[in-house]
This record gives sequence, structure tokens and C-alpha cells, in this order.
Amino acid sequence: MAADPLDALWLPVVPVDTRPEFAAALLRRITAAGGTPAAGGTPAAGGTSAAPGTPAAEGRPRPAGNRDNPTVRYFVHDLDVAVAFYRQRLGFEEELRSAPGFAMLYGGGLRLLLSVSGLAGAGRPLPDGTVPAAGGSNRIALQVPDLTAAVRELREGGVRIRADVSQGVAVRQALIEDPSGNLVELYEPAAGYHERS
Amino acid sequence: MLDVAAAGKSPDDVRKPAAPGDVINVGMQEALPDPDPVASIYHRSLPHVYGYLLSRCGSASLAEDLAAETFMAAVAAARQPGAPEITVAWLVGVARHKLADHWRRSAREERNQAVAAQPAGAVDDPWDEWLDAEAAYAALRCLSPHQRAALTLRYLDGLPVAEVAEHLGRSVHATETLLARSRAALRLVYQEDGRHGR
Repeated sequence: MAADPLDALWLPVVPVDTRPEFAAALLRRITAAGGTPAAGGTPAAGGTSAAPGTPAAEGRPRPAGNRDNPTVRYFVHDLDVAVAFYRQRLGFEEELRSAPGFAMLYGGGLRLLLSVSGLAGAGRPLPDGTVPAAGGSNRIALQVPDLTAAVRELREGGVRIRADVSQGVAVRQALIEDPSGNLVELYEPAAGYHERS
Repeated sequence: MLDVAAAGKSPDDVRKPAAPGDVINVGMQEALPDPDPVASIYHRSLPHVYGYLLSRCGSASLAEDLAAETFMAAVAAARQPGAPEITVAWLVGVARHKLADHWRRSAREERNQAVAAQPAGAVDDPWDEWLDAEAAYAALRCLSPHQRAALTLRYLDGLPVAEVAEHLGRSVHATETLLARSRAALRLVYQEDGRHGR
């Protein structure tokens, strides 16, 4: 049989590095889901594993899920655009995405939930008919090491700056907007800054 | 990208270069449990799994999703009694399953629209001796999910037809037919693109 020209399409597995945030987030999921067998030894070692036919996962202590991360939910118009914004512009890590309506991100010690207005889950209308909407003046506040540089970088990246850097009480602050119109406050500690330590 | 994740630390902490092997603890609260068979080869295997998926599906976010599914499946598999040894090759095999599953799902979703994309009846398949592989990869992305899956498994992965059939959940005979149709469809796009100078 003659050689098949399409055999030229063979493609070896060439390793490609992932985004570090992705690698770290996935590793967290793996260690949270896998953990170490309570009885010691690896599952493959036999003896300590559950009897054949018994789902080995059952009865094993599951790691506590609560990581003490304060959690905020934002409503957005487009999930992919919103996730890309928080990942690329603000350095959040994506923990999971359940398209089309929900995503969970971590950044700056905050767990940020994104829900699409009008869709199932948190985005659906309240019993009184109100549809959760993006926007408003409430916002998350994220501390950054260098506010001037941060705002410059965001502006150059096409992010809408709603209020430029200003001096507040013991902080310098600025207000930016995500693609759905939600505000995000950025601040940098200044003289007299205080928080509970 | 902003350094929000590092907020609260002093700038000195933030920029400290990581020692080799230290990178794995980015964002981790606790050290890895060493005996975990998946976590222990995670850093060695992730680029292979991701590289395999990215080169075949062409989308970074899809490759990430499928890589995550692959590793979570590995965690579940490692818990079973008589679990397979978790190796890089085994993980790439799982990734291949996940990719084939993805294409099957997309094919189901696109079933109604995709009918028009099938080339009409005739299976006319003479290829030139010399193949512009890059152009062929580009053409591959224009095919329907079933066609893409069949050609990717058969040619990019170099699997024998019987294994392709197994991945696709079809008989060998049906897979041969699908492969023939897919080759014809690929050739159509490949030639069309070639004419327009891409």
C-alpha cells in the first residue's frame, strides 16, 4: 500500500507551559480532591484500600472546603469577557467556570463569584421580579503595591478609569470599571494606613 | 497584569525569584502531600497534557478546561483499588479521551447546523505527494467536530483505525467511512484555501 500523504500530519506531543495561575489553581483542586489516604499508603498499595466494588472515595475524610476567603458576587453581562478581564487585567486565578452563567475566581485573598444577569442560578430574577444587574456604586477594593503604575497599565490596556488616582484618608485610590460596568476600587496604603493585623 | 494576588506583602516578598521546584507552591497554603500519585507527577506531566490538547484543539481556554478534566479524572482513577500507574503517557491517553468526548458533545450540539457542511456524496480523494502540513492543520479546524476528531486521532495521533473507532464509539466500518468523508472534506477546504492564497 502506498504511503498515505496524510501521515505527514503526525504531531508528537510537545510540552507547552500553561499559565502559572492555571497550574496553581489546578494543583489546588487536585490536592483538595485527592489528598492523602487517611490509613496511609497509596491507593494502589492494596490492603488499606476499600474492598473491590466499594467506591474508594466514600468514607474518606474530605478536606475542609472553607478556605476562609471572603466572597463577593458580581453580576456581569458576558461571562467569558468578565473572566478574561479579571484574569488578564487584575491577575485573578480562575478556579472554575460553569458556562454560560457562572465562574469562580480568586485574587488578593478574595473569592470572586461572577454570575450572568438573567441566567439560571444567582442571575435569575428574585421572587419580587427584580433581575440582578451589573453596576451600582458598591465595589470590591483591591490593594496594589504601586497604584500609579497599576492605573497606567490598565489605562494603556483600554480599561475604563472612572476616577483617576486621588489621595484618600491614609490611602491613594482609583476607581476602574469592568466590562460589565461594575466598579473596582484599587488602593495603595499611604502614611497613617491602618488595618487590623 | 496587576499584582493584586500579592497585595499586603511587602514588595520585597513579591519579586523574590523562586528556587527550582519552588514554583509548584505558588499560591499554595500547605506543602504537597507527597504520596499523592497525581500531584507527584503533576508538574512534569501538565505541559505534556496541555501541549497535546492545545496543538489539537487550537484554543488555550479549551485546552485548559480539558487539562483540568484530565487531571481530575486521574485523581478519581488513582483512588480506585487496582488503580493504574499514573504516568505521563497514561495522562495523555486520558486527555485524548477528553478531547474526543468534547468533539462528540460539540457534534451533538451542532448536529442540526452541521448537515450543510458535509460534502455531497462523492468521495474523491487524490492528495498530492507533498502536503503543506500547516495549511492542512488550518483546514482541519474548519471541519465538523466528528471529522476533526476522526482525522486528529488517525493522523495527528497516529492511531490505528480500530483505536480511532473505539474513541469515537463507532464500528470500524463506520469509522472507515467517516475517515474517507473527512479526508474529502479536508481536501476541499485545503484546496480552497490554497487557491485563495490563504
